[in-house]
Amino acid sequence: MEWAWLIPVFCFAAAPLIVVFGERLPGKGAILSILAIGGGFVVFWVVLTAFLGASPASEINGTADCFTSEFTESLTCVYEHSWFHAADLELVWGIIIDPLTLVMLGLVTFVALMVQVYSLGYMKGDPNFGWYFAVHSLFAAAMLTLVLADNFLLLYVAWELVGICSYLLIGFWHERPSAREAAKKAFIVTRIGDVGLLIGILLLWREVGSFSMSEAFEAASTGAMSEGVTTAAAILLLLGAMGKSAQVPFHVWLPDAMEGPTPVSALIHAATMVVAGVYLVARAFPIFSAYDADPLVVVVIVGLVTALMASTIALVATDLKRILAYSTISHLGLMMLSLGAFGYTAAIFHLLAHGFAKALLFLGAGSVLHSTEEQDIQRMGGLRKVMPLTALVFSIGAISLGGIPILSGFWSKDEILAAVNDHRNVAFIVFALLTALMSALYMARAMFIAFYGQLREGMEQVHDAPWLMAVPMALLAVLAIGFGFLSFNWPGDYDGIGSFVSFGERHGFSFTWWLGILSAVMAVGSFLFAWQVYLKGRISLDNAKATFAPILKVVENKYYFDEVYQWVIDRVVLVFSRIIAWFDRAVVNDIGVNTPANSVRRLGYTLRLHVTGHVYSYTLAMVLGFVGLGIFWWFRST
Amino acid sequence: MVSLFYFQLLSAGLFAIGLYGVLARRSAVLIVMSIELMLNAVNINLIAAASHLEGRGSFVRFDGQIIAIFIITIAAAEVGLALAIILRMYRNRSTVNVDEIDIMKW
Repeated sequence: MEWAWLIPVFCFAAAPLIVVFGERLPGKGAILSILAIGGGFVVFWVVLTAFLGASPASEINGTADCFTSEFTESLTCVYEHSWFHAADLELVWGIIIDPLTLVMLGLVTFVALMVQVYSLGYMKGDPNFGWYFAVHSLFAAAMLTLVLADNFLLLYVAWELVGICSYLLIGFWHERPSAREAAKKAFIVTRIGDVGLLIGILLLWREVGSFSMSEAFEAASTGAMSEGVTTAAAILLLLGAMGKSAQVPFHVWLPDAMEGPTPVSALIHAATMVVAGVYLVARAFPIFSAYDADPLVVVVIVGLVTALMASTIALVATDLKRILAYSTISHLGLMMLSLGAFGYTAAIFHLLAHGFAKALLFLGAGSVLHSTEEQDIQRMGGLRKVMPLTALVFSIGAISLGGIPILSGFWSKDEILAAVNDHRNVAFIVFALLTALMSALYMARAMFIAFYGQLREGMEQVHDAPWLMAVPMALLAVLAIGFGFLSFNWPGDYDGIGSFVSFGERHGFSFTWWLGILSAVMAVGSFLFAWQVYLKGRISLDNAKATFAPILKVVENKYYFDEVYQWVIDRVVLVFSRIIAWFDRAVVNDIGVNTPANSVRRLGYTLRLHVTGHVYSYTLAMVLGFVGLGIFWWFRST
Repeated sequence: MVSLFYFQLLSAGLFAIGLYGVLARRSAVLIVMSIELMLNAVNINLIAAASHLEGRGSFVRFDGQIIAIFIITIAAAEVGLALAIILRMYRNRSTVNVDEIDIMKW
């Protein structure tokens, strides 16, 4: 188990190797990238097996590194190696292995492997094929480090590394101005949150004297850290999480991030990087739930607002990838909602189920994009006839995420609804159900419009995904169907996901019947409704559209977030910047720097005329200097 | 025994003559000679002082003489170097007049 650090190291090694030697390797180095992440996936299974066989008592290599965490009440193993000392600060390389880390490792290695194999087909013939895989490897390495880190400093380093990889991959087709703009937007918006995260980490460091997570949790739970500081730290960490996980009001970057290649959207902007924020809140849960768990109220509200807002936008968007992006934001909001309602297990379970389903949906959308080069669903239709496999897997992803019973999305969403029902008041459960309803509606809408009905003109020559792209989609589809079964109490030792990933008291699978049936009815109803509206045309929405036109306009314009931000940047930020720039030019540069510099230069011009180049004038100056010093010394000594 | 004062007077006189030569002469050769004069003035001063101070405190006669011998050695090397430079100077610029050699400036 102590070899878990190998998982990210494989990928870290692959990235520079691809850049340097890629041109001479088969597939321009893509093979290295896939081998590295495949190796990571294998090591993940080894580590998982070792972890399941380990217990707090069992000693590994003579040292007992494993213990039962007092917070999660599950087995936790920590391996640390000193990095360097500076005064009384010690920095360590450290990894933590507990159920939360393990499920994240599984998700990241598996989805990254699938997406990289898929990319072999998708990115074929791209001039920067090797660079694409190098950045992919670097991203995987950083993401794996992020989930393995046992101290905030290492986590922050990995956090920024995934940010820069996201930037590089969104702007992968940097010849397109829109891709450049989107990359910059993503980087800057997430940076705003990251500043909060950094301040939060430094605040914890000031209070605790170490970057270690377990010491920070200890201080928060024993009362060594005051309530005010704990709450402030939690809110600051949440700020970082909101930036990365695209929560309102930082969500604006994620839809634009769809400018990147579609497999990138699948891996980074659906399944892994964007859930880093959810992971962070889950990881720092002892800080959030210390004292009266006030920060969780903020988390639950942020999650709810995000989920509602994003799902309404997804209902009216027409760009296939943007529908999926808003759906991702909405589901990230659901995860936050769940965490805020003490649904730790439910949030992580939904994170996994959503990760598989959404990666599948993006890969399906990528397959459409690959062969039709069309992103607008209104210009698609009937694609089922020309690309049956893609239509099948996309439909599986859609109904899984939409929450049709027995597919994994249904179980995970139900766990979230149950958690909200148990711990938060009735308003939250109503809005959560509304989100679930809209989630089913927009998935059904995208699926029916794009893939069913009459085939559009000019789409007859469209081909289905080549096998390199089809196999990863099929594997992900299997998980999108069956992953939810992990939540049950199977006969034998396995008592559902709640007995593995949990915070505090373990709980097996439980099913709140009225909620489950209600959400199932809503999901099936939504799909039937969408079928009638978009396929059969029996129900027309034109009257409703006319009635709610003003609201529709607001939603279609994404609640004017981009416009407001643009206004703030133009009228406030840029004006302020101009004042600063003027101050810099006029005061700092002209008065502060150029004036002394010019006077020195003028003095130099004058003085140099006294430099004749004649040796004896120099000698005379030297002699006079000596005489002067002699006289000075004479008078001083008497 | 001659008083130390006269040796110092001689030394100061020689040094002043040498200094005047360095400052006032135009010919590089004469400047080198003047430098030699100054060095030897120092030598006289050192040896006289050493002889005068012998037996007081921890001074011995050789202290001054050793430094004087060092100076003589270094002066010999310096003359060799200086004459070589002057020779090159003459080859390049056909003059040893330091007034005309004024490129050591901005």
